[in-house]
Amino acid sequence: MEDYIVEMRHITKRFPGIIANDDVSIGIRKGEVYALLGENGAGKSTLMSMLFGMYEPDHGDILINGEKVVFHSSNDAAAHNIGMVHQHFKLVDNYTIAENIVLGMEPKTKIFGILPSVDMKKANRDISELSKRYGLEVNPTDLIENVPVSVRQRVEILKMLYRHAEIMIFDEPTAVLTPQEIEFLLDIIDGLRKDGKTIILITHKIEEIKKIADRCAILYRGKLVNVLDVKTTSVQDMANLMVGREVDFNPHKNEANFRGTVLTVDHMTVKNENKFDVVKDVSFTVRGGEIFAIAGVSGNGQTEIADAITGMMKIDSGTVKIEDRDITNLTIRERAQAGISYIPEDRQRTGTVMDFTLRDNLALREYYKEPFSKNGILNFDKFQSYAEELIERYDVRSGQGPKTIIRSMSGGNQQKAIVGREIEEHSKLIIFVQPTRGLDIGAIENIHKQILDERDRGAAILLISLELDEVMELADTIGVIYNGQLLKIAPASTMSSHDVGRYMMGVKEA
Amino acid sequence: MTKVFTDGLSFAIPLLIMAVGAIYSEKSGVTNLAIEGFQGFGAFIGAFIAILLMPVLGNGSQAVIYIAMAAAAVGGGIYACIHALLCIKFKANQVISGVVVNILGVALTTFFTSAANTAINGTASNKFILGVSSRFSIPGLSAIPWVGGLFKNMYPFEIIIIVLVLFFWYLMYKTRFGMHLRACGENPQAVDAAGGKVNKTRWIAVIISGALSGIGGICFAYSILANYSPSIYMGYGYLAIAAMIFGNWNIGTTALVCLIFGFAKSGGYQLCIAMGLPSNYSDLFLMLPYILTMILLIFFSKKNHPPKAAGEPWDKGKR
Amino acid sequence: MNTKKKNRWLSGLLTSEKYSSFTVSVLAIVLTLVTASVLLLIMGKNPARAFLCFLQGCGFAPKANYGGGSGMLSDLFDFLNYLAPMLLASLAFIVGFKAGLFNIGIAGQMLMSGFAATVIVGYNKSIPAGLAKPLVIIIGIIVGGLTGALIGYLKYKFNIHEVVSTIMVNYIISYTTGFFINNKYVDMLTRTSRVCSPASRLTWTGVQIGGVGCKVPLGIVIAIVMAFVVRFIFDKTAFGFELKAVGLNKNCAQYIGVGVGKSIVASMALSGVLAGLAGVTYYLGYSNTIIPKTLAGMGYDSIAVALLGNSSPVGSIFAAIIVTIFQQGANYMSSTIGVAKEIASLITGILLLYASCGGHMKELAAGILQKDLYREIEAKQASEGSGSGKEEKR
Repeated sequence: MEDYIVEMRHITKRFPGIIANDDVSIGIRKGEVYALLGENGAGKSTLMSMLFGMYEPDHGDILINGEKVVFHSSNDAAAHNIGMVHQHFKLVDNYTIAENIVLGMEPKTKIFGILPSVDMKKANRDISELSKRYGLEVNPTDLIENVPVSVRQRVEILKMLYRHAEIMIFDEPTAVLTPQEIEFLLDIIDGLRKDGKTIILITHKIEEIKKIADRCAILYRGKLVNVLDVKTTSVQDMANLMVGREVDFNPHKNEANFRGTVLTVDHMTVKNENKFDVVKDVSFTVRGGEIFAIAGVSGNGQTEIADAITGMMKIDSGTVKIEDRDITNLTIRERAQAGISYIPEDRQRTGTVMDFTLRDNLALREYYKEPFSKNGILNFDKFQSYAEELIERYDVRSGQGPKTIIRSMSGGNQQKAIVGREIEEHSKLIIFVQPTRGLDIGAIENIHKQILDERDRGAAILLISLELDEVMELADTIGVIYNGQLLKIAPASTMSSHDVGRYMMGVKEA
Repeated sequence: MTKVFTDGLSFAIPLLIMAVGAIYSEKSGVTNLAIEGFQGFGAFIGAFIAILLMPVLGNGSQAVIYIAMAAAAVGGGIYACIHALLCIKFKANQVISGVVVNILGVALTTFFTSAANTAINGTASNKFILGVSSRFSIPGLSAIPWVGGLFKNMYPFEIIIIVLVLFFWYLMYKTRFGMHLRACGENPQAVDAAGGKVNKTRWIAVIISGALSGIGGICFAYSILANYSPSIYMGYGYLAIAAMIFGNWNIGTTALVCLIFGFAKSGGYQLCIAMGLPSNYSDLFLMLPYILTMILLIFFSKKNHPPKAAGEPWDKGKR
Repeated sequence: MNTKKKNRWLSGLLTSEKYSSFTVSVLAIVLTLVTASVLLLIMGKNPARAFLCFLQGCGFAPKANYGGGSGMLSDLFDFLNYLAPMLLASLAFIVGFKAGLFNIGIAGQMLMSGFAATVIVGYNKSIPAGLAKPLVIIIGIIVGGLTGALIGYLKYKFNIHEVVSTIMVNYIISYTTGFFINNKYVDMLTRTSRVCSPASRLTWTGVQIGGVGCKVPLGIVIAIVMAFVVRFIFDKTAFGFELKAVGLNKNCAQYIGVGVGKSIVASMALSGVLAGLAGVTYYLGYSNTIIPKTLAGMGYDSIAVALLGNSSPVGSIFAAIIVTIFQQGANYMSSTIGVAKEIASLITGILLLYASCGGHMKELAAGILQKDLYREIEAKQASEGSGSGKEEKR
């Protein structure tokens, strides 16, 4: 019997419609970095959420230091010194960094010696000290909404340290960081290991595992496939086990064949609702047959560029042209008709009407045109046949075909439906924002192939992605955005991911 | 001028306590358009208890008022459980729930007022006659020129409410409970991850909201209306919500807004009298708070920031 | 075992796509009747008798005796007179609701249009009936539509929540019209506004049918036609498609190029038009006069109707009949068995409460089915996989 600090035995967890974890058993040693590898939806996060007390397993036991425990809430887990950095940070935007860290464990004092209250002065002091000790510098009184993603992540790590966590779970911590920030994070993790902490790292990025982890458990569709010693296993083997089949690391990409300029953005500035410049004097062009990718850390104005070009946000100054036509002051629909398709960042909040059927969602670009509607009266036969056509062509899978409510479909199929709907417009310009966020590898491959096909057809593609890997893989030209400005525009072949990462952090050319 | 201050305060202060109730609910993440129903139902319970007690304690007894206030708080708190149940447990649409609670409140109290009157004195009247609370002036302060009116002819309940508002300000901004409550309305996930109980906090917040509204309601019944009747549903609950919106969900600024409402109302009325208009014209001046609300909403609605998570039910099991 | 089966059967009905909207409403009605019965029993009254009285009051069952010249048919027509504005008002709510807006200012919009029509046409005795009636309808449409559009505009332009603005506008309309009625149009005897000319009234009074006098409402025809018009708009037209998209997801509607602001104003205007029609059929049809500073309770009852009818225009016809039976039958019930007529509003309120729980009932039923499914899967797995489980322990 090995000495495990954490043991999970025969864990099964079901959600309506799916089995997230199916009889999974793992054991983690004290002081190691243990990686959980798997595609999106393989059940990694669910498994760790149970260890952190967010859900209770339907079956199976959790043992901490050899003792069986039952967690009803994250409080119970915290009491056993378990901490977790979630993929979507659990921070209150309008609270300060210190307030966020102490939330739930606030230092107490008494006003006038009688009224119990939160001692924020002590909290600020404590946090300041803690952050210095671990090299995670933050200013305790900054509001979360004013600090960048990498600092927010530090806050999440400090939250665990403040709670004296010994076992630390990181859920996809590198997804939104630059290569440099990733290196910094891996250093921090290494330091924590040296400090005797046990680290569990959930990820689908194999290189990171290779760099930092001691052992690696691979999950596939809710089941544990294997536990490997990282040093003795090749990257390719891990990848194959994760996907359950051979992975092609280098998708086929044809030689670029650029045509005339399709999109011209000239000195464009965009203000947000607080009258703050979020896009500052940005200029670039995209040619037919070109994938122009904008790389950048989240929240630097990239989605606003897409919104401004499509008309969802007002352009404050500057012009946007499709070929020779100035579209700066056209309405959203007029711009779409001028030749813009748009796959938005948030497929649930923007890309679809979740309570409409698949049929109606597929018709959102066409419903007002003939033959879909005549004199304002809809022709549902046409809706139906069009939906059937697109479902077939774009391999959209659903429970009940066109009449499926789109909410009940998987994220990957929702996205396929949106991509199909937009591509089917045969627009001159197609804008993709975070097109593969949260999708599994199969769906990602499918979407990437669609993007490349459209480029080869001659469409101009504007790709906005936070995943640097995706940008490096697909782009012909890369523009790097920082703080609303395009710091660098260059052919993809001339830049390494490290170069891009430097610009993403705002470092200008020397 | 004195009258403007006195009447303004006596209108603004009950309005404020209802607005504080609304703030509690919304800051915890439960959209609350049900204040109108809460205050009406709370006031009904308070008035009902008062009617029962008045013969026992003697008609002139002021103790009845305080007991009625406590009863109104309890009644409002209990009635608020319907809103909490629908919004938190049943995950119903919170705007609909608010509307349902208001409509049901009017129906319940109207029916039971006449039922109670039939049972007690055999007439199916829809009124509980309460009379008006006695008044007092603060010696010294009330003698100050100009602003002295603020301290003249005050209702005792105004003092109680001010103390309550101070206490609930402290609870909201200085204590752990308040810190958790405000976080529940911004990002319930953060509270849950930190080991807080989101839905429990929201239940408490909605019940507080009902209790405070009930106190506001009974104070209107004991001052402006002098009785409890369906005319308690004058839309003051909605005015409180409007005050909360201008006050940007902040207790301090909301207090200022309530004062503006109060002085606008009393000022308009005194103006009407000063101009020597016939009493028929008072209807036009009664509209003032509503018109003022509309105008203020036009200027302030676009800029403010409601709690981010307000209106969204919290579901722990949701992925 | 038996109860479990029953449970499943009920859950199945509640969740099935085809029947759920219907069964949820029926369940809400049944629960309301049970609650009301308990209440009546506590008060020492016979619920069956009370419910019969509601029906008798609306002309669905014969009363013990009738006054001279009236009969069951007169009651039935009175019922239809009240049903017409009720149905129109609920359609007004539905139109807003589908586009994601809560028009709870229907009572105010009704009063505004009713007041305008009364003053412009009702008091102008020289206009002949053939002209007056269409004119009343047109005024209802215009005034209601404008009032609604104003609310929509305030929402779109200034981000004012329509629940707050409609309530404020309700009070403003109520006080303004009250002021004018009290000062100019009051009937000193009744303290209400003077009656309108028979020519302008949308109900023909004193029509002899089957030997009894009946009030024949034009409004009911308008109301039923409008129910089908609203259904047509939402089921068949691009405009309705856009409104539904705006109601379900504003971001997406904007993204596909629907003018969201325009849609909000349009749906509130349409909602106001229907409320305006409800207003003229109420104030110049059902009643013939306006009580100053009083908003019609129907404005709120219509929300119960809309929710009970699952916000379907045709479903609302049936829901409106149910609610109207309680509201209209309350007087007779009250005078016969001596329960305050306010119980009608209470029953409507309870109905509203249960109807708003519909979503939860459905969810509960779905949960029961889901659990059953899990249990089946587990039983299956246990019988298949019991061997392998043991092996692993070895």
